[in-house]
Amino acid sequence: MAHSVSEACTPLKREYDACFNAWFEGYLEPAVSASASADPARRTTFAQEKAAEYERSCGKVWAQYRECVQGAVKEKGLDSLLEQARQENPLSEPPPLLDDGTSSR
Amino acid sequence: MRFYSQSFLYDDPWSIVSYAFFMRYPNPFASHVLSCDVISRNISPTGTLVTTRLILKSGAMPRWAPKGMVSRAESWVIEESEVDPVGRVVRCTTKNLDHVKVMRVEERVILEQTSDDKTLQNTEARIVSGFGWGLTKRIESHGLARFKANIQRSRQGLFTILELIRQSRAQTMTMGVPSLYTPSQRFTSGSSASQTASEASGSSDNEQKPRGTWLNPKSWL
Repeated sequence: MAHSVSEACTPLKREYDACFNAWFEGYLEPAVSASASADPARRTTFAQEKAAEYERSCGKVWAQYRECVQGAVKEKGLDSLLEQARQENPLSEPPPLLDDGTSSR
Repeated sequence: MRFYSQSFLYDDPWSIVSYAFFMRYPNPFASHVLSCDVISRNISPTGTLVTTRLILKSGAMPRWAPKGMVSRAESWVIEESEVDPVGRVVRCTTKNLDHVKVMRVEERVILEQTSDDKTLQNTEARIVSGFGWGLTKRIESHGLARFKANIQRSRQGLFTILELIRQSRAQTMTMGVPSLYTPSQRFTSGSSASQTASEASGSSDNEQKPRGTWLNPKSWL
């Protein structure tokens, strides 16, 4: 698996990635049909179950790995750069597509 | 600004392509990826998985670039993704955090399940330079050319990972062993991965048989 930003975090990262991948494989094949998922209550139950499952299997190593990376990010002075980028939040607010498909300059 | 968009159809099911997409680093075609970390991850109230990753990439400057245009040829990249396993879609946005005045590249990838259980990938890129000095256009054109070249390489990388997943699943089925095996564990050493990459970068990039179809590549100047 890829290295961590800090060599000190790489062992934790590998342990976490292995745990996450095992969980993620099952998460991608949910036992919830698309029609059932239209029901918000079913959707909430699904979310809670998956979150609990993730916490149970990977919660501990995730907390350790996250702490290690957060320290490294601060040390490298990347935290302000990240803060700035996350305020733009591209997932919740995508910039509009160009209407005419041509460039502005 | 330059805009580029391209679609690609994978023959593999959505769950496998999405799985491969998240473990695509490292691979022999991504030796420019120096590090990759998850900095935040949570499950939303609707059950989608929201992840932010911080990636360090190395890159070479073009020959015509003025000296000192950037202080170092490495770039921090932030990747924000959302996986909806019920709606069968992955949305992912990637952009560089530094050197943004020289050039900002923002890439959006969507992986969707098709009705015949294949996977459609839609990739969009926006490339903007605010450098000035009469170089803006040249920088943007260079960025677009690089993006187009790199998109092929990243596809090759994903094929490599997909092939490993197929192999590991086939093996699991034959042996009937419950698997906690993760294909990316095969790439535990960074040095061996980059060695493979330098071998592959000669002329044998097309060794991997792509299983998929190119669709309507579009580019506007």
